[in-house]
Amino acid sequence: MNAPENRPRPLSLLWLQCGGCGGDSMSLLNAASPEPHELFAQLGAELLWHPSLSNGSPAEHDALLESIVAGERALDLLLVEGAIVHGPEHTGMFDTRRGRPKKDLAAALARQAGHVVAVGTCAAFGGIAAEGALQGSGLQFTGKRPGGLLGAEFRGRAGLPVINLAGCPVHEQVITGTLLALAAGQAPLLDEFNRPLDWFGMTVHQGCTRNEYHEYRVEETDFAERGCLFFFKGCHGPLTDGPCNKVLWNGRSSKPRAGVPCFGCTDPTFPQPHPFFVTRDIEGIPISLPKGVSRAHYMVYKGMAAAAAPDRLKQRQTTI
Amino acid sequence: MTRRIIRELPLNRVEGDLEIRIELEGRRIVDAWSSGTLYRGFENLMIGRGPLDGLVITPRICGICSTTHLMAAARALDRIAGVPPPANAVRVRNLALMVETCQSDLRQSILMFMPDFAIPAYAPHPLHAEAAARYAPVQGGRCIEAVRETRSLLEIIAILGGQWPHSSFMVPGGVTYVPNLAELNQCLGILRRFRSWYERTVLGCTLERWQAIRSVDELEAWLAERAEHRDGDVGFLLRFAGAAGLAGQGRGHGHFLSCGSLDVPAGSAVQGVDGMLVAAGFLAADGERRTFDQSQIAEHVAASWYADGGAPRHPFDGETRPQATGADGRKYSWSKAPRYAGLPAETGPLAERLVAGDPLFADCLRVRGADLVGRQLARLTRPATVLAAMETWLRELVENLAQPFYETVPPLREGRGIGLIEAARGALGHWVEIDDGRISRYQIVTPTAWNGSPRDDAGVRGPWEEALVGLDVADIDHPFEAGHVVRSFDPCLVCTVHVVGADANPFRC
Repeated sequence: MNAPENRPRPLSLLWLQCGGCGGDSMSLLNAASPEPHELFAQLGAELLWHPSLSNGSPAEHDALLESIVAGERALDLLLVEGAIVHGPEHTGMFDTRRGRPKKDLAAALARQAGHVVAVGTCAAFGGIAAEGALQGSGLQFTGKRPGGLLGAEFRGRAGLPVINLAGCPVHEQVITGTLLALAAGQAPLLDEFNRPLDWFGMTVHQGCTRNEYHEYRVEETDFAERGCLFFFKGCHGPLTDGPCNKVLWNGRSSKPRAGVPCFGCTDPTFPQPHPFFVTRDIEGIPISLPKGVSRAHYMVYKGMAAAAAPDRLKQRQTTI
Repeated sequence: MTRRIIRELPLNRVEGDLEIRIELEGRRIVDAWSSGTLYRGFENLMIGRGPLDGLVITPRICGICSTTHLMAAARALDRIAGVPPPANAVRVRNLALMVETCQSDLRQSILMFMPDFAIPAYAPHPLHAEAAARYAPVQGGRCIEAVRETRSLLEIIAILGGQWPHSSFMVPGGVTYVPNLAELNQCLGILRRFRSWYERTVLGCTLERWQAIRSVDELEAWLAERAEHRDGDVGFLLRFAGAAGLAGQGRGHGHFLSCGSLDVPAGSAVQGVDGMLVAAGFLAADGERRTFDQSQIAEHVAASWYADGGAPRHPFDGETRPQATGADGRKYSWSKAPRYAGLPAETGPLAERLVAGDPLFADCLRVRGADLVGRQLARLTRPATVLAAMETWLRELVENLAQPFYETVPPLREGRGIGLIEAARGALGHWVEIDDGRISRYQIVTPTAWNGSPRDDAGVRGPWEEALVGLDVADIDHPFEAGHVVRSFDPCLVCTVHVVGADANPFRC
């Protein structure tokens, strides 16, 4: 791949907001090391536009987008937040700029970009917008199905597919870390859904402070208890790829640590159609088991684990 | 007759996408239309889902106010469950909401509103160079500080609820986590650091000194009193706006709505009004003050593309059935138009202060009307009205740590509940109906639906449409003054869940 930093000019970076909530932009503002203003300096990047931060005039924004689309102005890093909206009836008119579908603008910008980065589950896979009238997709996937807006064969000018920074929202370290790697000319190793393995090669369960309760199958049956949330409260931690309990949120905690089940928000199929906060089970064993585990072995193991549980866990003395 | 000219303005630095159409006669705006350009469809996504799913889905309406939607959703479910959350859960929820609100107020003011003062069009303004050094996007000194300090403050929500944004730690019956003493002490430390920064940098004085200001004259005296007052972000806003002639600009209809917020838990030392820290009420333009009654809310659709073209509906009777075909000439937006007792209403921090009878803002209203400066001043100084209560509630959590944070609730099978709170941007309501253990109706009326609404059945403009009328602009091709007016309402278009913007000819009137 071409190392963009060999070029004499600063890298250029553009943030495009499509059908989303802005939560990934808010996540970027959570960045502590580097802080956002330091990130751009370390990237050697000029932020051409961010919809929540830039103060150029509408005419300047129009001219900027036109010059990039026409190939007159280089775009090294295109960051897209929010789902690609195809509704109603595949027109894209539920999400427009200047009366034209944003999806067409996203595609035109992607064709010119060195790297295309999907920031958050919506831009990666469609996320919440994939259901219903919005007919949302990701940039290069719709749920688990390759394709999306740009097609499975799409590659940025630097040779990589769309890099999917999953999460609703994505953790700030995943954004800053990926951008710094790309700016340094490094190609991140990706999983089958083009998520960087540095963050998505582990499960959310790893590092959870409720892990002992999980090991011995001491379960939370109601909110605000000490126990594991996997068996009754619908926690997806053991089958969801992500670093939440390694990098921690806001440098402090994670949802499962605070008694909120993992909802699987980095998964291409998020959000699930069945109710949250409930584990669907067969005879007390969850239908969805920890990633890669066989049901027969798991049932035996969990039966033995519960029998081996120490009193301090059964009596919920161990803190979270 | 002067020729009338139309300009269409996409607006950035609002949450989401917004396009404004203005009609000018000479350099004066004589009419305005507002439209979001993104349909979210959240309400319809909720139908048929599990009874607690609003706690997961609705925070994802909005990245900057996700905890706020969580709180409205949880309060609606509290009603259905029929179990009041214990006092400690009320304290945790209130704290989280106030943290998010302070974050939003400061980011909106310093990252979204003030950067307009740094644009080249203001180059002749005597304070332009100072504005650029403070508020240039990303790199301005005050922007860097605001990002850093709001990020730090948000750690309180992560400690109590796991993460920000997009957690779901408020549930019917209370909250999901019982913090320990060490964690509460960490929260206190974070809060004190934030308060210290806010006093030093934003206010330029102590909370107590700020709260002693009771009139416009006293505000001017405060500004002249010390260099620190002038150097704070509040002082800079007043100085820049004064020199730019912004006072008196951007006044709306003059009707103000607050649905009330932040229940004062039993036994708390915090003083409230009718059991809430933020008072509820409706203040009409004629000065009449009315008790807030949610049954007076109805949504009009005369200017909105909806299948139901009948009489205005209360949210419990409301439907969200977009229908783009056959639009007659009056329809130009897919936003519904909420009205209170038939009237448009401005909502947000200025409305809260006016409804509460705050002497400074009541005097601002008398002297120059509810203008864009007052709106922004109310937002930037709202933390001064809540930081002391936040610390009290944290201390009370420490004192009452052995008391419950959650009460078991039965499974939710049937019922209707309303969750009303004051979001950072104003009145927010979730109207929820559960039938046979599934959500059968979910209607959300957001602050931006109030402030940014289109015309109603009587043809009356929405509040910020109205606030644009009469505004003079310096350059008809770059009417940035219109941006000040609309941004002073703190628009949140991603929240405007049943807004669809427009097709290629959205405003054909």
